[in-house]
Amino acid sequence: MDSAPLVERLAAPFVAQLLRHDLPGLPSAHLDDTVKFIRRRFSSLPSFVRFGVTVIGAVVRAISIGPAEQPVLRFLAARPLPLFGEYVRLTRSLGYAYIWETWPDTLADGTPS
Amino acid sequence: MSAANANRPRASESRGDGVRRRSPGEDRNADRSLDCEILIVGSGAGGSTTATVLAEAGFDVLIAEEGAWVDQGSVIPFSLAQMDSQYRSGGVTVALGAPSIAYTEGRCAGGGTEVNSGLYRRPPGEVIDRWRSQYQIRDLDPAELDSIADEVEKELSVCLTPGTPSEPSRILRDGAEALGWQNSEIPRWMTYPEGTTGFRGERQSMTRTYLPRAMAAGARLVTGLTIDRLITSNGRATSATARQDGRPVTVRFRHVIVCGGAIQTPALLQRSGIRKHIGRSLAVHPTVKLAARFDHEVNVPDDVPVHQVKEFAPALSFGGSASNPGLVALSLSDSWRDFAPAVEAWPSISVYYAAITSEGRGVVQAVPGMRDPIVTYRLTRRDKDLLRSGLARLALLMLAAGAQEVYPSFRGAPIVRNRGDLATLQERFAAAKASVMTVHLCSTVPLGEDRSRCGADSYGRVHGYPNVFVNDASLLPDAPGVNPQGSVMALAIRNARHFARTERPRG
Repeated sequence: MDSAPLVERLAAPFVAQLLRHDLPGLPSAHLDDTVKFIRRRFSSLPSFVRFGVTVIGAVVRAISIGPAEQPVLRFLAARPLPLFGEYVRLTRSLGYAYIWETWPDTLADGTPS
Repeated sequence: MSAANANRPRASESRGDGVRRRSPGEDRNADRSLDCEILIVGSGAGGSTTATVLAEAGFDVLIAEEGAWVDQGSVIPFSLAQMDSQYRSGGVTVALGAPSIAYTEGRCAGGGTEVNSGLYRRPPGEVIDRWRSQYQIRDLDPAELDSIADEVEKELSVCLTPGTPSEPSRILRDGAEALGWQNSEIPRWMTYPEGTTGFRGERQSMTRTYLPRAMAAGARLVTGLTIDRLITSNGRATSATARQDGRPVTVRFRHVIVCGGAIQTPALLQRSGIRKHIGRSLAVHPTVKLAARFDHEVNVPDDVPVHQVKEFAPALSFGGSASNPGLVALSLSDSWRDFAPAVEAWPSISVYYAAITSEGRGVVQAVPGMRDPIVTYRLTRRDKDLLRSGLARLALLMLAAGAQEVYPSFRGAPIVRNRGDLATLQERFAAAKASVMTVHLCSTVPLGEDRSRCGADSYGRVHGYPNVFVNDASLLPDAPGVNPQGSVMALAIRNARHFARTERPRG
C-alpha cells in the first residue's frame, strides 16, 4: 500500500498523464523522475495550497475514471478553467522546470537530443 | 550540564553537501529548553543585523532560525537544489488572488540574503520622508539612515562589477540606451577576485558577514528551531513554544524581536494572539516576465543581470531574472503550444521582468490548525494596467536590444518579433492570465505612531506589548520601489541601536 501523503497519491496519475500528453517523447525514466519530483513538491506546499491541490486532485481523479480519462485530460490541458487551470499550471511549471534543469538538451516534445 | 555550558558554541557538523544541520558556533541544547535575554526569531537581513548590534552591546542573544545553515557556494544559485535546501516550501508559495502572485521566502541561516540577487539599493530619501510624515515615525532621519548605509555597504563589500557585465546585463543596458531610457548598474554585496575582468564574484550574504560577527560577539544561533508561538501574560511575552527535530522546546527570554520576514512575522504574532494592525497591509512589487531570444548565446544559468532600467521609476522598473534552462522552460510554459520550440534554443534566451510599485495590498492570516498562514493579495485596476504597459515596454526594450523573438509569460501571448506585434501583446494581455510573481514582500507590521494603521511604534516595538519587537521587512510602511534589503538592514540597525540605548544588558 502506498504510504505517501494523500496529495501525492491523488495527484500522481494526473501528473504523469499530463506530462505524457504534453511531452510524448519524454523517456519513461525521465517521466518517473519528474513525477517523483512533483509529488515531493506537492507534499511541501504551504498548508492551504496543499489542501486545495488535494481537493482538486480528488475531483480530477473522480471524473477521470475509465474511458473518461483521456477526454478529461485533453479538456483540462487545453482550457484554463478557474482552479483546475491553476492545478494544470502548477503541474506544468514544476514539471518543465525540473525536466529542462535536469536534462537541458531535451527537445520540445520531451525527446532527449 | 548546566544551561550556561550547554549554550556554549560547539564545533559545526556538516553532511558534506554544504547543508549543515548545525551552523558554525551553533548550540543545540540537550534539555530542550533555552534561556536568553533576547530571542531573535529569524536570521535574515533584519535578524542578523539586529543580533550583531545587540550582541556587541553586551546582550545575551539567541537567534532561532527555522532553516539550515548552507555554505555559500555549496549549492548552485537559482537551482531547484537551492530551492529545496534554502527556500520555504521548495520555493512554491503563493498569495491567492486574481491573479495569484507567486512569491519566494528564504528559509535558511541568512534568510533571503543567501538566495537573492544581492542587488543593493539605499533607502531612497524621498521615500523615508514620506514614510515619516504619513505614518508619524519619530526621529526617522534620512541622514542617519545614510550613515548606517555607509557602514552596511562596507560590511557587505557592496560594489559595482569590476569587470565586464554579463551578456544579459549588457542587453538591458544597450536596449535602454538605444531607446534613450535611464538605466544603471546596481551594486551588489559581492567580492570579486583581484584583477578580474569578468562578473563572477562571491556573495557577501549574512552567513559571510553579520552572522559570524554576531556569533563572535557571543550571540548563539540555533538552526532547525521553529518558533510556534509566543506565550504572553499581562501584555508581556515571557517565553516561546518551539520545535526542533520534531521535539518540543521552550525558549525563555526577557525580550523577543521577531525578524521572520513579512509573511512569517505577522503569522507568528497572530498565532500568539497579537493581531491589531498585524498582517493586514502586505505590500509587494508585482512582476511579469518575458523570455527574449537573440541570435547568439546569451544565457548565464547561475547569475542575474546587474543592470536595471529606471526610466519609468518608481512606478515601473525593468531588470533581469535567473535564466537557467529550467527557468526558461517555466517562462515559456504559459503558452507552451506556441512557444515550446523555443526551449531548444535556451542558450540564446534570457528572462527579464517588469516590476511595478503596487497600489494593491494583501493580507497574511494565520489559521488555527494550519502550519502556514493564508496569504492573499489584490491588485488594483491601475496595477493591472501598469503590468500590461510594463510588459509591452519591456518587450520594446528587448527588440531595441536586438531580440529576434520575445515570449511574454501569459496565457495566449503572441510571439513578439517587431514593434507591430506590441499592440497584439497589449490587446491579449490580462493580469489574470499572467504568471505574476514577486520576491519583495513587506509592510505587514508597519511602524509609526499612527495607531490607526501601524502595528509597531517608531522603533519596532509592537503597540501594547512592551517587550515584543519586530525588526524586518514587515516594518517598511510600503514597498519602497527599489530592492528593499538595504532599507531593511538600515532600519533594523537604527532600531537595534535605539534598543541598546534604552535597555541595559542583564548582569
